[in-house]
Amino acid sequence: MRSTFPSLWTLVRPYRWRYLVGLSCIVISLWLKLQIPQYFWGTLSELLELDRGTGDLDTTQAASLITQAALLIFGASLLIAPIRTASRLLILGTSRKISRDLLAKIFARLLELAPSFYSRNPTGQLMSRAINDREYVRSLAGAVLMYIVETITLYAIAIPLMIDIDAELALLALAPYPLFLIFARYIAVRIQTTARAAQNALAAITEKTDESLSGQLVIKTLTLEDADFEKFTVRCEEFRQLNLHVAKLRALMISSMMGLAGISTMLVLYQGGAQVARGEMEFKDFGVLLTYLAWLAVPTRTLGFVISSLKRGTAAHERVLEVLDSAVELRQEMHTARTPEVSHAALRVQNLSVVYPPFSEQPHLEGSLPPEHIGSHADVERTVLDNIELEVPPGTTLGIVGHTGSGKTTLARVLARQLEVPTGTVFVDGQDITSFPLENLREQVGYVPQDAFLFSESLRANVSLSQPDASEEAVLAALAGAQLSKDLDQLPEGLDTIIGERGVNLSGGQRQRTALARVLLFAPKLLILDDTLSAVDTNTAESILEYLRPFAAGRTTILIAHRLSSLSHAEQIIVLENGKIVERGTHAQLLALGGHYSSTWELQQESEDNAVRASQLEQELEQGFEDGAEQ
Amino acid sequence: MSDAPSKQDPSKESTHGVTYDARLVRRLWQYIRPHRKWLGLALVLMLVTSACGLAKPLLLRLAIDEYIAPGEMVGFGWVVLGIAGAALGELIARALQIYTLELAGQNALIDLRRAVMRHLLRLSASFYDKTPLGRLIGRVTTDIESLQELFASGVVTVIGDLVSLVGILAILFYMSWPLTLATLLVVPVLVGFTLWVRKGVRDAYVRMISRRSAMNAFLHEQVAGMPLIQAFRRERRTAKNFEKINGDLCDAQLSTVNWESVLSASTDMLSSITMALILWFGGGLALDQLGLKPEPGSPLEQGVTIGTLVAFLQLMDYFFGPLNELSLKYTVMQNAMTASDRIFNLLDKEEWIPESENPQRPETTQGVIRFENVTFSYGKAPVLRNVSFEVAAGERVAFVGATGAGKTTVLKLLTRLYDVTDGRITLDGIDLREYGLKDLRNRVGIVPQDVYLFAGNILENIRLGHPEISEEDAVAAAKAMHLDRVLKRLPGGYHEPVRERGSNLSSGERQLIAFARVLAVAPRVLALDEATSNVDSEMEQLLHEAVERVMENRTSIIIAHRLSTIRDVDRILVLHKGQLVEVGSHTELLAKGGYYWRLHQLQYGQSDDGDEAEE
Repeated sequence: MRSTFPSLWTLVRPYRWRYLVGLSCIVISLWLKLQIPQYFWGTLSELLELDRGTGDLDTTQAASLITQAALLIFGASLLIAPIRTASRLLILGTSRKISRDLLAKIFARLLELAPSFYSRNPTGQLMSRAINDREYVRSLAGAVLMYIVETITLYAIAIPLMIDIDAELALLALAPYPLFLIFARYIAVRIQTTARAAQNALAAITEKTDESLSGQLVIKTLTLEDADFEKFTVRCEEFRQLNLHVAKLRALMISSMMGLAGISTMLVLYQGGAQVARGEMEFKDFGVLLTYLAWLAVPTRTLGFVISSLKRGTAAHERVLEVLDSAVELRQEMHTARTPEVSHAALRVQNLSVVYPPFSEQPHLEGSLPPEHIGSHADVERTVLDNIELEVPPGTTLGIVGHTGSGKTTLARVLARQLEVPTGTVFVDGQDITSFPLENLREQVGYVPQDAFLFSESLRANVSLSQPDASEEAVLAALAGAQLSKDLDQLPEGLDTIIGERGVNLSGGQRQRTALARVLLFAPKLLILDDTLSAVDTNTAESILEYLRPFAAGRTTILIAHRLSSLSHAEQIIVLENGKIVERGTHAQLLALGGHYSSTWELQQESEDNAVRASQLEQELEQGFEDGAEQ
Repeated sequence: MSDAPSKQDPSKESTHGVTYDARLVRRLWQYIRPHRKWLGLALVLMLVTSACGLAKPLLLRLAIDEYIAPGEMVGFGWVVLGIAGAALGELIARALQIYTLELAGQNALIDLRRAVMRHLLRLSASFYDKTPLGRLIGRVTTDIESLQELFASGVVTVIGDLVSLVGILAILFYMSWPLTLATLLVVPVLVGFTLWVRKGVRDAYVRMISRRSAMNAFLHEQVAGMPLIQAFRRERRTAKNFEKINGDLCDAQLSTVNWESVLSASTDMLSSITMALILWFGGGLALDQLGLKPEPGSPLEQGVTIGTLVAFLQLMDYFFGPLNELSLKYTVMQNAMTASDRIFNLLDKEEWIPESENPQRPETTQGVIRFENVTFSYGKAPVLRNVSFEVAAGERVAFVGATGAGKTTVLKLLTRLYDVTDGRITLDGIDLREYGLKDLRNRVGIVPQDVYLFAGNILENIRLGHPEISEEDAVAAAKAMHLDRVLKRLPGGYHEPVRERGSNLSSGERQLIAFARVLAVAPRVLALDEATSNVDSEMEQLLHEAVERVMENRTSIIIAHRLSTIRDVDRILVLHKGQLVEVGSHTELLAKGGYYWRLHQLQYGQSDDGDEAEE
């Protein structure tokens, strides 16, 4: 882990001159501001002398002194305003730019990180780093920095001036400050932790509300309203208690701050007042002391904010660094001689084993791994693929069958180079897969995962991910291949309908078919379909497979499926169990083998036929009524 | 500090321009009323705080004019003590006021939050059909949180601020009206200027917030789809889009910084200019008074003394503080009003299933169900048309039909998730609408196709907070559903936590849990929507046995997807486009030679149509 300040400096460095000017502006404006009370009280002091009859001015001189002082103050305030504005613009404005740069860095890294990184770390985690944590870092480089410099400058200029006036009185008045700082720090930390707990409690309320409303049908039908409401109330009450606790701490903080300011003012007022009365101190000095003390107390008001922001900002910066420093994972060897390209997509796998270390030993971002997972029964080393040997000649189809958790998806992801593998295990066209630049590999590998992700863009943009300038005919052809043409008519704006999270909600099957249409348009040399049709109804799936057969003819195809019937045309089928290949052969060979494959086939035949026929019956019935066939 | 990271994003569905509305305040008052004592106390404390705060400059003026200036030390200690007392009073009152205000606010908000949730739980299924969940969740969380602001810095503080502004003005005028008038010259300038700047700040903020949400939405989607972006080599294009959005956001943020910097510096400047004014005008006045000691008892306001000038300086600080904040608070109030408008809009939705005034409560349930000419529509087109049938006590019937034929609707009507549009449904001869809603749902158990699991462990998901179901009952129900066999694979068994709505359980396992739920409640009538998802053959067998077991001794209405289930039932009802087209037992329907017969023929591939079924 890099430490916070050096890497923060790399962000600030390009703007260091702006910072320098901005900080100088703070110093100048504060120095000017501290002059104003001198004029004000100086004039009052002269008036007092005049009143006492001890002064050396007459009334006319006093009058011009007043005008002079008023003009000076007026002039100083006019001068301070632009300088102050400049300091804020330079520091706060630059902090925004730093925040922009930091986000750009984060995003650039996110674009490089391997898919396995995304499967380990939930989107919410990454979002909170890129947004919330970055904001805290920004506040560190902006408001917090400005505040600290302002406070230090104020104290550095004002305290010597005060000591110069009356060392004893000034030190006496300032004596409680260090004590207060320690106390305030303690309270600020407690406020921070309690406020964070309150935020978590609010998140729990959100989660509960989400759960209750998503499950409202179940709640209604099982009459769980009261029990559910009770659970909700418990969370609300917890939130209320925490908020009250924060209020208590805040009240304590504010009152102690007021008490501090009060004590020092009283001291100066009593001691200094008496001295002025006795003629041992100038009225001007008395007044300046009082004003400066009041000003010195102001930053203590935001002390809590600064202490917690400092802590939060550095912690947030570390969390951002965690992302920036995450290993890219997929090796990309630098080639000098020639860069291999995929030509036939012949695949060979030899002696491939994939072993996942226990959860707790994988490089998770902090907070990505639920604490209950650590040390749980599941937190053990898992062998997902065990000594796989495979040969897929170019242009042929490999079917993969197996129970959930048998390693099918892992194998698919290895072949799609989504997961890192040891060198010497996977070969494409006779070349080690790790020796390909990712770019070249991805040009020829089309992988369709089980859960289809759609961007909130038009259907056209979603399908033409690989070729944004694909012709309308090509897009329509891909959609037709994925049996989406019918669905297209139902979309309000056809190809240009926005789909995805912020658009028209497609069904699971439609989503999968859209994802399929993507690779159909992409037309890669290696096609990997990971149970892509699981949510597509049987008839449509049949039609898609029908289309896929000629499409897959010239391509090396990896087909994972639950429905064995969709694999029957494959040149080669393997059955995976606990990461091992337990059976392999053609459909006919495997049936003849009488093993796992053939028994599953028989079982599926019955239920699958039922399903196929049931859905055909539905169409039959439909047809029957339409034709009025019923007598 | 305005620059601190903000916790909420008020841009979401904000309806700008909802003005302060007496109607909204009256409705909010309903929730505040029970806690008005705390609120009143907070107001009193606030006034005490102000009074103590204002006493200080007056006492300081006394100290300067009567003791420090003339060098009179007798009694000076008492004046300082008085100031100390005022400061102490201010401090204590302030601390108590912060707490009481929070207490009043939190108490009122928890009431409101619970009221909203109660309301949400009561709203009917049809309401949820057309309302996005995210928005509703926002009502319970974000919107109520913006009301929190209303309490923290809202009404009471504003009243307190106004009172102390009036107090300050009174004291200023009392001390010297000409000086007051002269000093207040700057106020219209201040107000005019800040209003102008604030408008700039607000506009810049609105733009910044909308760009920030655009950025958040963009990031969220790109991060979620990152493997895809990489697989399709979209990195460069994505990076370009990102750069544009990031740059736009930064520009918007810079413009807020510009306005804020001007605002903060100018506020500071105006208070210094006031100081110059006090000195120039007040100093002149004071000069005229020098040497003219007011007679004891004569009104002090006649003269501007040095003490008066000091008191003026302090009081003007007090004066500008709340004046600056009043305009800030306006935004807070505006937000709170928008939020409460949305909350009350939701509370005004009265879309629920009406409860009978005097519900019938028969001791036992026979389980005789009758649909009499039932017609139902979710919107325009009817989903069920004139459907009539009867199910005898203990009978098992299955519904068969195409997707959209209205099968699921039958189940939903049976548990009164929706009310019939026309006709009626009776249970044991009593119209469903005459039962108490909860009572009815206890009599009719439903197993939906998509099983919804709650956070908690598996056992808790079977008991679901029903106090009358003991842990033993739940375990017994689970055993009857063979769950003990299935759950062996989970380290925690029955106590294994359900992760993210059941992602650690297979669809078959989830369905078994749903069966166990119903079995634990033991209703007389069972409405079951069989899951269609693919399960392995072993699970298929378990599910089959489980269905058998739950149907035992109860009236069962099943939407069947498995032929094995269909063969087990007493009667089959065929639905087509909302109409009941065939009714009869398996054998009767086969003999009839209608659609069910065709289904059966298709099933075994023996009919003339058989060749249409390929493979």
